[in-house]
Amino acid sequence: MNATAEPIDESSISQKTIDARVKEVIKKAIQRNIPGLARLPETQAQLEVGTSDKELIYSTDTARLYHYTPLADEIYRVPILLVMSPLARGYILDLTRGQSLVEYFLTAGHDVYMIDWAVPQKKHKDLGLSSYACDMLGLCIDKVVEDSGEADLSLVGYCMGGLLSACYQAVNPDGPVKNLACFTTPVNGDGMVLYKKWLTSKSFDLDRLVDELGIIPSEIINISMQALRPLQRNANQLKLLNNVDNDEFVKAHLRFERWAVDQLPFPGAFAKDFMIDFVRDNKLIKKELTLDGKIVDLANIKVPFLHVAASFDHIVPEASSKDLIGMVGSEDKKEIVVRGGHVSLVAGGNAIYRLWPQLDRWLSERAD
Amino acid sequence: MAGNDDLDPMRMMREWFVKSEQMYSDAMTDVMGDERFSKTTGRYMQEALHMQKMFGEAMGQYLANLNLPSRTEIVEIRERVSSIEATLDSILVEMRALRAESASSTSAPAKKTPTRTKKAPAKDA
Repeated sequence: MNATAEPIDESSISQKTIDARVKEVIKKAIQRNIPGLARLPETQAQLEVGTSDKELIYSTDTARLYHYTPLADEIYRVPILLVMSPLARGYILDLTRGQSLVEYFLTAGHDVYMIDWAVPQKKHKDLGLSSYACDMLGLCIDKVVEDSGEADLSLVGYCMGGLLSACYQAVNPDGPVKNLACFTTPVNGDGMVLYKKWLTSKSFDLDRLVDELGIIPSEIINISMQALRPLQRNANQLKLLNNVDNDEFVKAHLRFERWAVDQLPFPGAFAKDFMIDFVRDNKLIKKELTLDGKIVDLANIKVPFLHVAASFDHIVPEASSKDLIGMVGSEDKKEIVVRGGHVSLVAGGNAIYRLWPQLDRWLSERAD
Repeated sequence: MAGNDDLDPMRMMREWFVKSEQMYSDAMTDVMGDERFSKTTGRYMQEALHMQKMFGEAMGQYLANLNLPSRTEIVEIRERVSSIEATLDSILVEMRALRAESASSTSAPAKKTPTRTKKAPAKDA
């Protein structure tokens, strides 16, 4: 190896290269010092999400079960299993460092697992509520028990993941679930007013839609969710303009936007079970909903129970979730209503100060 | 700078919209809940499904003539890629189990795992 430095042949560097380098240096200097000009990712896909260290411990073509690497040397005995909605990606619970419920739990000394649902394929069109709530969730619970070596766990479900968790526990009251926490969980179809109106209308043929498409594309789900608050996205864009000089706000906005449009398609059978049995016919409230041939009666839930609702939730409005706490048969039960919306409840700035400490406290007290 | 922002009419207009958005959204949602809206949407959906089927078949033939894949074929490829990903994930899971098994059977230093001894705080009264 020749240690002598080769003299630089300056004529070999073109003026164009020098200009480009000077521009780059000036651009970097500006971006380092002026708020609002930080180096932001060019696309939402480049934003880092789901940053906590995790390991895949079980996988099927419809679900992935992850185990997060504990951050504490000493952890609580009872592990937590987070259950996402089958319509959404799990990274909303682990958005980024400092804005992650998973990271908060890990730092507090919990052992955390998460079910993240995969994109259903045509062959999954017949997977209904029963397949998700009993078969897949049941399998994942067994895997967590096996992996952790503990006989019981705390189940924490978000949105429709809460519905799956509550249904699972109602038909498996003697299973390994020690504690159950549900976030913004719908139980009363009558409370989902707009969907109910559409589904009771004779002109709206959901059966045909499902039969033709097999899997309901995420675009249709996005549109139907936007119909619940049609101008919210426009308002969010304007909020972004008002805060364009705040780099952290811009990054958080991009992350939320990425997640909001990153919905999962709906297997046709699940769509029918949810929209017809649950929303239109309100079978859960009437105790007529069956899973695995068993009636889903939430009064069968006897384990310690926590329900967390958001006061400005337009996706799962109060009218559709408020009955849950009364229906559950547990003696040890509690409801927390937090100021905020459906998503800000779990990942917004206020969640960190308002909700997560209460949630950690509730789970910790029941974790040994 | 902040003072100047307060007098920016565009900013004021944006703030007004953000504050009154819920009211307008609620009004639009009420309209969407009307039976006439449901009827129109229902009819539109039926027509769209019919059109999609018709166009899908016609375009599929046309694209095949051009030696290009149709949407159905691209969806099939995506599904095959998803299946391959799922298979790879299953292999990863198996490898993880094998690693754990071989670590327990050999005298290799075990990966440090936290102990499940953390005490729960006393319950609130």
